[in-house]
Amino acid sequence: MSVNIDSNHSGNMRNSMTKNISKFTKEYASLVAIFIMLIVFSLASPYFFSAENFSNILLQTATVGIVTIGQALLITTGQFDLSLGQNACLSSIVAAYLMKIVGINPIPAIIIALAVGALVGAANGFLYAYCGIPAFMATLGLMYVCKGFAKIISNATPIANLPNSIGFLGRGYLGPIPISVIIMVGLFILFQFMSRKTRFGRNIYAVGGGTSAAYFSGINTKRIYLYTFTIAGLLSAAGGIVLMSRLNSASITNGNQYEFDAVIASVIGGISLSGGKGKIIGALFGSIFLVMFFNGMTMLNVDPFYQDVIKGFVLVVAIAVDILRNRRKN
Amino acid sequence: MTEQKDSILKLMNITQIFPGVKALDDVSFEVKRGEVHAIVGENGAGKSTLINILAGINTHYQGQVEFDGRKFIAKTPSDAQSYGISVVHQELKLSETLTVAENIFLGKTLLKHGFVDWKGMRKKARTMLTELGVVIDENELVENLSVAKKQIVEICKAMNHECKMLIMDEPSATLTDRELDVLFAIVPRLVEHGVTIIYISHKMDEIFKICDRVSILRDGKYIDTMQIKDVTRKHLINLMVGREMGLEYPKEEGKFGEIVLDVKNLTRKGVFEDVSFTLRKGEVLGVSGLVGSGRTELMRAILGVDKITGGTVTHYGKIICNRNLKDAISLGFGLIPEDRKSQGLVQIFPVRENICMVAMDKVRKHGLINRKLEVSYSTEFAKKLNIVLPSIETEVQFLSGGNQQKVVIAKWLMQDSDIFILDEPTRGIDVGAKSEIYMLMNGLVKMGKSVIMISSELPEIIGMSDRVIVMHEGHCVGELQRDELSQEKIMSMCI
Repeated sequence: MSVNIDSNHSGNMRNSMTKNISKFTKEYASLVAIFIMLIVFSLASPYFFSAENFSNILLQTATVGIVTIGQALLITTGQFDLSLGQNACLSSIVAAYLMKIVGINPIPAIIIALAVGALVGAANGFLYAYCGIPAFMATLGLMYVCKGFAKIISNATPIANLPNSIGFLGRGYLGPIPISVIIMVGLFILFQFMSRKTRFGRNIYAVGGGTSAAYFSGINTKRIYLYTFTIAGLLSAAGGIVLMSRLNSASITNGNQYEFDAVIASVIGGISLSGGKGKIIGALFGSIFLVMFFNGMTMLNVDPFYQDVIKGFVLVVAIAVDILRNRRKN
Repeated sequence: MTEQKDSILKLMNITQIFPGVKALDDVSFEVKRGEVHAIVGENGAGKSTLINILAGINTHYQGQVEFDGRKFIAKTPSDAQSYGISVVHQELKLSETLTVAENIFLGKTLLKHGFVDWKGMRKKARTMLTELGVVIDENELVENLSVAKKQIVEICKAMNHECKMLIMDEPSATLTDRELDVLFAIVPRLVEHGVTIIYISHKMDEIFKICDRVSILRDGKYIDTMQIKDVTRKHLINLMVGREMGLEYPKEEGKFGEIVLDVKNLTRKGVFEDVSFTLRKGEVLGVSGLVGSGRTELMRAILGVDKITGGTVTHYGKIICNRNLKDAISLGFGLIPEDRKSQGLVQIFPVRENICMVAMDKVRKHGLINRKLEVSYSTEFAKKLNIVLPSIETEVQFLSGGNQQKVVIAKWLMQDSDIFILDEPTRGIDVGAKSEIYMLMNGLVKMGKSVIMISSELPEIIGMSDRVIVMHEGHCVGELQRDELSQEKIMSMCI
């Protein structure tokens, strides 16, 4: 009798273990992909597998990764923001301008820059949720507004040689680990936690999964959109500032196309474009995947012009996988 | 032989089975060439299913259809059109931003020397409109037209597709009386042009005004076809609704307490006016009336979704004004919406998250969602309501309609709501699961909750309500106690 129970028990254990593994690989497909890619590139290129290159990959991931968090949250609500890249650019130029030209202390300068980013995000959220302008159009408009202001403030010339005191954000190390990477990972963990454990986080998923059901359950759906857009704006400003610190310069090319990279990274990370599904932390792995993929191709001397073509394919494939995954369920 | 020659449409033993429902059960009747033939029946009697067969939308049915002497097999709507059958649906299918003439010729563009012949199309559109005796500028954009005129454009479009039979699906639902007259005026003209008309409507007035014969469907079964001049209004209503009521409605006599809700002269301009009713503790108040009579809108206003322009709502003796749903929810209102799929539940959420969606405060500890509490609460309510589940982590999209509805109710029970507003609670739910929902309603009032049930199904209203108010065109036209309830009485009030 007891033997029976035991074998049953271990059977269940094995069952649940394989179930857990398959669930894990499904949820973190990007992590598995990263692993496979690591092996392939390491075999193909002698330069790829080195501490220096990995550190480089993570450094590059850090800036776009921070922006990706916001995009991932927005995609979870069923929306997206095209202005995130230019928002990052504008915020970094505002910070650099205040520090270098106006001569303000770095801390207030950074706070003002973050506020600018949040304001741009709030404007997007307001236009979408309260004025009924499609997010595509609202954020496209704000993208140009940001781009324009970035040029006006900087006169389209890079502002370089920033105060040393902010260099640690992008170039500092804590032991062997870049501080920017710590910031990014910290933010990812924070927002992963927020999305799963707080009412606001749950509401983000509810709005993305079924807007009217959320509304008829008493959730103020408009406010959820407004807040999420604002957070995304704030995060992209943060990304812009870290990038500025790393490059020790703010120029109008900073953060270019981050918004699209963030979409691709989110989708690769398992965040469903139809909204309401996916883990925010998945977008971290999506970001690493994306940066590593192109780093590896550069190592293999793939023509950079072709890399754009490949990026396009990666996006389409990732979305196709997302759609197929949803379709099979229905 | 002569009779056969007369018939343009012959339905022979049509049966249509949807999962769990026999929508049409061995239906056979004929429609004569050149007549205006009404099809009547309650919601769910099978009218739409029948139309969809003729429109080429439902293709998997048993039985045979013969149209104009040929066997009718349509796989798509355009197949049906090529036979000569066109449908004017309740929701019109016009391109709003194109002109009247462009719409009429949509898909049938006239060409001249290989180019679009605008002049010819405008001229022909003009002729068609004059023949029907209506004043519509063929160059006007469709979006600028009234609903009635849009319907006429739709009819012209059908005529342009060499239509032999026109099916009008509740054309009057969205029309004002004056607009209706415009539409009625062209019906005889269409008949002159050799078009046979099938007319679907709930409204007796219209049927007696313009139809020659009428066929009655009830619960998917064919009842009878009669000459309009041989039938009285009352007899027709009886045939439509006359069904035996068994234990389909397991209503238990309740005990009523104090008045929990007292609505006085409630008005939302242009939507409903001067509506008054009360709701007692432990009572099921039925709200009857046709779709569009203002029932749902009334509830939306009470819940704070839409603004009220006049009147008061008193809740336990205190005048309240819900500014939004959140206010209403905190006062104890719970809404089980009509559209369960999109408004009631987040389909991709597991049962657990759906149940805990409203009363989230109960599953939070130090401001954070506590998984253990969520699991124990949702398990408790799933058990209480007898929800059949593989696991509380199952996404609700995989549950049956009845179980989904129970999840919606569970959500409000967990919030301790005490006024439950159920909008069409059993729409799209199997017969078996229906009575389970009714049992749940019994359970709710036994717990001392109050229920407002909006429903288009008269048997349900009569079977389950303690008291009924009847809405018609935004007004509350009557209130009936349980012992006064009859289908005929309610029908005569809301028609």
